[in-house]
Amino acid sequence: MSERIEALQEMVERNQVWPVMAAKYGVENPVPPWKTSLDGLCDALDHAACDENVPNFKERRDEEDALSATVYANLPYPENQLVALAHSLVARGVIDEAELKRRLASVRERLEA
Amino acid sequence: MAGHDHDHDRTVKPMVDEITDFEVLEIALRELCIEKGIFTAEEHRRFTEFAEQIGPTPAAHLVAKAWVDPEFKKLALAEPMTASKEVGVDWMEPTGFGTPSDFTAFQILADTPTVHNVIVCALCSCYPRPILGNSPEWYRTPNYRRRLVRWPRQVLAEFGLYLPDEISIHVQDSNQKHRFMVMALQPQGTEDWTEDQLVEIVTRDVLIGVALPKAGVTTNVITETRPAIHPGTAG
Repeated sequence: MSERIEALQEMVERNQVWPVMAAKYGVENPVPPWKTSLDGLCDALDHAACDENVPNFKERRDEEDALSATVYANLPYPENQLVALAHSLVARGVIDEAELKRRLASVRERLEA
Repeated sequence: MAGHDHDHDRTVKPMVDEITDFEVLEIALRELCIEKGIFTAEEHRRFTEFAEQIGPTPAAHLVAKAWVDPEFKKLALAEPMTASKEVGVDWMEPTGFGTPSDFTAFQILADTPTVHNVIVCALCSCYPRPILGNSPEWYRTPNYRRRLVRWPRQVLAEFGLYLPDEISIHVQDSNQKHRFMVMALQPQGTEDWTEDQLVEIVTRDVLIGVALPKAGVTTNVITETRPAIHPGTAG
């Protein structure tokens, strides 16, 4: 579980975390705009945790705590919550790392179009 | 539209004009989960709407109403789910479609002159979300969860709440099926206040039990979130 995942590690290094973004653009919202969607994603996962690889509520939170204290100790909340979730899903084989990389590129391309 | 003569440029708040990796990651994860059939887009939308509309206001109304209405206070302590409905929260169907992680036995912990209550989830971060909204960041940290159950007086002091030794502190540990909130004592000097005035001083911190209500105090304490020290890396 503590093995580094390249695509996520690059995000940590690029550090587009909300406190930095909010200060840069003079935005006052205390949390990033994607936070409620992440909450919805976590709830939907907890609701659906019947597939043996999908973490249940307690596993998801335990893994988030462990990863936030180690691999992602430099990320603030809720970025650490999001990245830890991605890490859990990749480490558990729910999402393939290469598949995630491809999707990150295609989503970014779409958003920047 | 007739009469629509104000300048939008001056009313729009600043926004982040940059696509961040985290925004992209949230979308990518969600899309992949939906495509793999783990949940549907409709389920995600409804859970997200739930997350957007919850907050501590119903709980603050419940406590303020109990302070001004002794009969309602009795109901709140005896039948907390019925009392919750009176402030607009149905625990059995908080999202209108059921959230298993929030299905729960709900209990309201009333402070007395000699007992102060405070809630925690030592296991993870269970929180009475339907009535109190999302938990603050510090509530989720291992630091708060681990230390509150062992040294409650010291942890409360870190929030600026110093309780005299003659007041016992009851730490109530939440779990996946049991959720709690705190009903503090009405502070002196507010006896002639209206319910709406009282709502203002029943803050999220008061409802968790890390603060006491006080005339004039309507905001939460801002605490520095301490990084968790993982046993494997400490020392």
